[in-house]
Amino acid sequence: MKKELEHNFVELLEKHQNIVHKVCRLYTNNQDAHNDLFQEITIQLWKAYPKFRGDSKFSTWMYRVGLNTAITLYRKNKRRIKTEEFDAFQYKISAEAYDDSEEHQLKLMYKAVRQLNDIDKALIFLYLEDKSYKEISETMGISEVNARVKMNRIKTKLKTILNP
Amino acid sequence: MDELELLKKDWNKNGDKYPKLSYDEIYKMILKKSSSIVKWIFIISLLEFVFWGIISIALKDTESMQRFKNYDADKIIIPLTIFGYIILAYFFYLFFKNYKTISVTDSAKVLMENILKTRRTVKKYVAFNLIYLVFSTIVVLFIEFDKDAELINQVEQASANGEVFKFYAIIIITTLLLLAVAVGVLLLFYWLVYGLLLGRLNKNYKELKKLEV
Repeated sequence: MKKELEHNFVELLEKHQNIVHKVCRLYTNNQDAHNDLFQEITIQLWKAYPKFRGDSKFSTWMYRVGLNTAITLYRKNKRRIKTEEFDAFQYKISAEAYDDSEEHQLKLMYKAVRQLNDIDKALIFLYLEDKSYKEISETMGISEVNARVKMNRIKTKLKTILNP
Repeated sequence: MDELELLKKDWNKNGDKYPKLSYDEIYKMILKKSSSIVKWIFIISLLEFVFWGIISIALKDTESMQRFKNYDADKIIIPLTIFGYIILAYFFYLFFKNYKTISVTDSAKVLMENILKTRRTVKKYVAFNLIYLVFSTIVVLFIEFDKDAELINQVEQASANGEVFKFYAIIIITTLLLLAVAVGVLLLFYWLVYGLLLGRLNKNYKELKKLEV
């Protein structure tokens, strides 16, 4: 019974692992921290899995557990951000962009997003993942109206970071 | 906002941008132990219960406590002890009840609230212990002054020299100083441990609460 549960879980997570990687990308600055957070999210997902009923999509459920772990449960690495590592990581992110100016813009955008606080990052993340305001509000535990207002503020904040 | 649309486009065409962990790698991960703050709060809380438990047991067997038995002060000491245990059981129950409600599948806000609630329970328990400690010390002092032959003798001697006020002052100040040190050490412990553990959570919780105003 337990073996079957383990098997189902690992298979599902293997399939949807990008969601977790995306959360890690947003909340960590180097590969070590990324792996560390991935590990913790995996454990939290696994611990909560027996209660997963399947009435929501596995991926939807993953967003919640992943963000909760990143924002609340995870203790940040004591290691401060190292610039070289940070840049290397950044570069990898936008390596696929083809247009020079577009690449530059993207680089700035990612940098700006990284400067946001934990909560703002979570909202932006859900926005980038094309989640509805209803889902955003349920994941964060705030009202839909407040989610919208907050989202607009974050957009303004990003604008100011980009065009100081 | 064009940039945001651009970002969204890039964000979602990430095919092989991420590491691809294999089935075995993920399987190994689920066998590892969590190092989340909830786990640490749980461990530290249990240690706090153990700490105060040890203190009360350790005090029970001291010489002065043994001497106390001869004072016929049972009608004060026994109710005080029973009261202490009832409160301990009550807090223990509350702590576990709160701990059980912590679920990573709740919304971010509810999760944070439940963690803070668990933490507050233990804080109240420690506050109770400190008050209990101060109260018991006062009770014990009164009993000592009432029953301890040597102390009574000293008081009489002091009053014969006209120094009774000084005598009481010294005892009260010493007691207060000792209590202040005990409280100080505990506060330092709290500041360090919970500051490190919950700093981030508190910051994020405030940020979420701010949205509601």
